[in-house]
Amino acid sequence: MNLMKTPRLGSLLALLFVGFAPDAGAQQFMTREGHVHFFSSTPIEDIEADNRQMSGLLDASTGDFAFQVQMRAFHFERALMEEHFNESYVESETYPKATFQGRIASWESIPKDGQQHEVVAEGEFDIHGVTQPHRIKGTVQWVDGAWKLQANFEVTLADHNIVIPAVVKDNISRIIGIDVEAQLLPR
Amino acid sequence: MKCINWWLIGLVWISSSALHAQGLLDELNAVTEEPTLPVRATFKDTRIVNVQSNETPAEGVLHFVIAHRFGTLSSGAYDLWGLDNAQMRMAFDYGITDGLAVGVARNTYQKTYEANVKARLLRQRTGPNAFPVSVTWYSVVMANGTRVVPEETPYPFTRRLSYVHQAVLARKMSERWSLALVPSFVHRNFAQESGEAHDLALLGVGGRYKLGPRFSVNGEYHHFLTQSFGDAFSPSLSLGVDIETGGHVFQLHITNARGMFERSFLAEPLGSWANGDLYFGFNLSRVFTVKS
Repeated sequence: MNLMKTPRLGSLLALLFVGFAPDAGAQQFMTREGHVHFFSSTPIEDIEADNRQMSGLLDASTGDFAFQVQMRAFHFERALMEEHFNESYVESETYPKATFQGRIASWESIPKDGQQHEVVAEGEFDIHGVTQPHRIKGTVQWVDGAWKLQANFEVTLADHNIVIPAVVKDNISRIIGIDVEAQLLPR
Repeated sequence: MKCINWWLIGLVWISSSALHAQGLLDELNAVTEEPTLPVRATFKDTRIVNVQSNETPAEGVLHFVIAHRFGTLSSGAYDLWGLDNAQMRMAFDYGITDGLAVGVARNTYQKTYEANVKARLLRQRTGPNAFPVSVTWYSVVMANGTRVVPEETPYPFTRRLSYVHQAVLARKMSERWSLALVPSFVHRNFAQESGEAHDLALLGVGGRYKLGPRFSVNGEYHHFLTQSFGDAFSPSLSLGVDIETGGHVFQLHITNARGMFERSFLAEPLGSWANGDLYFGFNLSRVFTVKS
């Protein structure tokens, strides 16, 4: 209690609590049905999968965001591809989710004018239990009271310790293309 | 004192901004409910060794299996430990839907034909609507195709038929462990000797343990619950491995049952683990996506 009598330390503790408290004024936008599509293209075979259950949060006061997908909710054209994807490559039982969290650069300067604006999102991309920093180019657009986000980027399998066995190495690309699309509504 | 304060302020500022980014993901986790998802790949193939697993071919997939069982390992070097003496089963199973498959097969042993149906009744799921086991039904009718000698002997077709009905209760315990409980009922229309049983009930257990993403050790045992079809037959016990390579699954095993259709390997295993009368064999499966 003696400590509280020191005004400086008291204000410091107050600051500490403010730092931890959720931003009451922050407006958050959310989706539970973002679309992730990925594809692998080789001369032998094209493989693609869709997931329409990506969830995401965007803090509209700062441009901070967090997205996640359940790996087991990806759907492939062939059942066997889906099985191999989950069982052998991303090991979804051990690593059930992929996440991307970070911040959209220069968020404050993006006008809500209904136009698409090119942005850069910087953050940590976690898949297969391996986190890598990632810079992703995409667009944001303010439409009917919601933020529409869209991006295309590439992920190198080796960066995330995803090993493709020798027997199918000609069928699966080393670099996977990913398209993401989401409409985030106010929470 | 002043310098400590600045140091503390710096620390708080760093930790709160780091927490902020992490916080958003935690917040997302808190408000996102985990989806209910079916448990997949409880077993690698539609069979554990001999017996059905809970897996069925996916919709529009033709699952083709070539299986061999060789002669007894105890037959020695002259027969290359049984390899000179192979029996074959060739089977086509087709997935009408993701949970319903029909199949036909032909066996060397007694020139037996099979027609079967396999249906998933319940599926193991995780998430808010979790369910602990998969329940799959399997029914097969088998027809002995050997000629009667002499040919004019009256021999009604119904005598050639036998039936097996099974429920496969399977659970993926963990990424590596899967277990199955398989109660079976066997009926044969014709018994050689009068007084021999026409019906047999069994309770089987099977399982697999994955040693790697594409490699597992499998086993199964079927206990006679009622009087066996004859003293010569012992309960079926099989051990093997699954090796997966792309669209193929190789199953290599040792078993005391040489037949590959249900009545034969459940009710009539002639080999014995005690005497080393065991058969080496393999199932080789390949899937073809017929309709996507």
